[in-house]
Amino acid sequence: MIDFDLPFLLAIAKFALVFIPLCLIPICIFMERKGASLMQDRYGPNRANIPLLGGIRLFGFVQNLPDGIKLFTKENFIPRGAHTFWYLLAPMIPLAVALLTPSVIPWFGPMVVEGSRGLATVSGQILDADSGVLVLFALSGLSIYGVVLGAWASNSKYALLGGMRASAQMISYEVSMGLSAAGIFLIVGSFSLTQIVEWQAAHTWGIVVQPVGFVLFLTSLFAETGRAPFDMAEGESEIVAGYFVEYSAIRFGLFYMGEYAHIAIAGALLSTLFLGGYQIPFMDTEAVRANLGFVSGAIVAAVGLSCLGIAYMVRRWARIYSRMQTTDAVDRKREYNILNGAFSVIGLGLLAVAAALMVLVHPAKGGLGAADIWPLWVNLGTAAVQVGTLVVKILAICWIFVWVRWTLPRFRYDQVMALGWKIMLNIALVNLLVTAVVAKLVKG
Amino acid sequence: MIEQIYFAIFAAVAVGCALGVLVSRHPIHGAMSLIGVMVALSGVYSLMASPFLATLQILVYAGAIMMLVIFVIMVLNSAKDSSTPRFDLHAMVGVFPALAIGAVITRLIVAWDAKDGQAVADAMAKVPAERGTVDAISKVLFGGRETSGWAILFLAVGLLLLTAIVGAVLLAKRRLDKAPADPTPAHGGHG
Repeated sequence: MIDFDLPFLLAIAKFALVFIPLCLIPICIFMERKGASLMQDRYGPNRANIPLLGGIRLFGFVQNLPDGIKLFTKENFIPRGAHTFWYLLAPMIPLAVALLTPSVIPWFGPMVVEGSRGLATVSGQILDADSGVLVLFALSGLSIYGVVLGAWASNSKYALLGGMRASAQMISYEVSMGLSAAGIFLIVGSFSLTQIVEWQAAHTWGIVVQPVGFVLFLTSLFAETGRAPFDMAEGESEIVAGYFVEYSAIRFGLFYMGEYAHIAIAGALLSTLFLGGYQIPFMDTEAVRANLGFVSGAIVAAVGLSCLGIAYMVRRWARIYSRMQTTDAVDRKREYNILNGAFSVIGLGLLAVAAALMVLVHPAKGGLGAADIWPLWVNLGTAAVQVGTLVVKILAICWIFVWVRWTLPRFRYDQVMALGWKIMLNIALVNLLVTAVVAKLVKG
Repeated sequence: MIEQIYFAIFAAVAVGCALGVLVSRHPIHGAMSLIGVMVALSGVYSLMASPFLATLQILVYAGAIMMLVIFVIMVLNSAKDSSTPRFDLHAMVGVFPALAIGAVITRLIVAWDAKDGQAVADAMAKVPAERGTVDAISKVLFGGRETSGWAILFLAVGLLLLTAIVGAVLLAKRRLDKAPADPTPAHGGHG
């Protein structure tokens, strides 16, 4: 007989967190397109709009919608001579891995709640294994099979070349990725991601104690996600689109979404290992719980002020636009009015909510018997704040991915291999050695 | 109960994939079946309270080594659409060890009685529940004198593997140096 008490229900509810990287995919795609257009001095997506809602385009965010419809409704083409079973299986693997790996990321700090069998600690990870981060490395290592299998099963030389490049690159950079993260494991003394985050809250961020490891890990992540400057698996001038050149419609879409989910998970891993994870800077979990009203109010107020800033921006665009002689002036004016109104109302509403939170919420440690137990609603509010913090950090790192992709020129294949094996591996080994010696001297 | 259901699933997948390795006529199909065996075995390990071993099984075997195997299959161009014969003369060598292992297992099953079951249960009761975690394994490996200290052996094995890799690189490099400077293949090539 299963006991439906509170810790059990919370453990079930945590599974919803698995979908956070999937929800970040459209935001990442939007960020990529707008970032690319910003750096290349062009407009980016600005045509797709929703006619029923006054033709709003939401700065190009709506472009995701027609793209999705297009991918779902195009013909699913299977090339002649393809190995059908593997051809159909391959695109599922990266997305399946993207759904599995978030279960290891700690999304909020451990909370103590009252269950029917006494006090129970609910961890912020869905899978709280003591070999935590190794599970993540293991699972994300499996996602390359999607690339290799798809490349081989398409029965195309271009695809095969792309898949072989991808697998060679993956093997090369997994070594330096593991070694560059080993320094932080050595300092913390655990593989558990929750313990790594708690150590960072008690001492300092991982990027401060392991700056070399951070740079190496970030570079390895660029290579692991296969993005420029490491986009050897694709290359318009050499092997067309590489491993997915024979894929069309939503099967191509699965590869595409898998790539962005991989970026989101890489961001979660990087921020958990080196940037304090779910912790707000200079505040540990206890501090957030004690000042929940002020903290949550400040975050909501920041979001509200951003909305007001967007509204102000839209108003300035509308003023510039009204001076120009364009054919779509009526449509644009209507859209700008809608956006201006909506963002002003949302911003003001959020500011009111923030004020209410700051005034009304003053959590006290609550009467469940033990002195240091917080009531459930305080725990849940803290968890929400911490999940939001982690998502903000992930988005910031995703922006770094976009930034690097559209700034650096791509490497040649032999340069990638030389960088991986002759430079990064050696620096990672020396870094690990120095860390071990210093940790032994300091810790004794 | 739920452990036995999971064990049945993992065992069925492992045996099915192992059969796939045996009968598949295409190198890639065989390699993918082997990955299936490894992933299913990892599930069995985690049922046996050894999460660390289960993780390493996927990380090292399914993730790294099989990736390398598939890479080599593709580089050596064995991934052509031609199929290899299912059994040949070399495969016959494997028949004898398989028969021997089968005989031993059959003997064990035939001779099994309730007393053996009790002995196994007694032996299992002495094993600590947390035996396959990172802590437990690192204590056994590097725990010092009281656990017989496998650290030296561990380092020796690491050194041996490193020597093997360096040797392999040296041999490959010598062969590359001996190769003729003219890159055109001897018999026409593919143009």
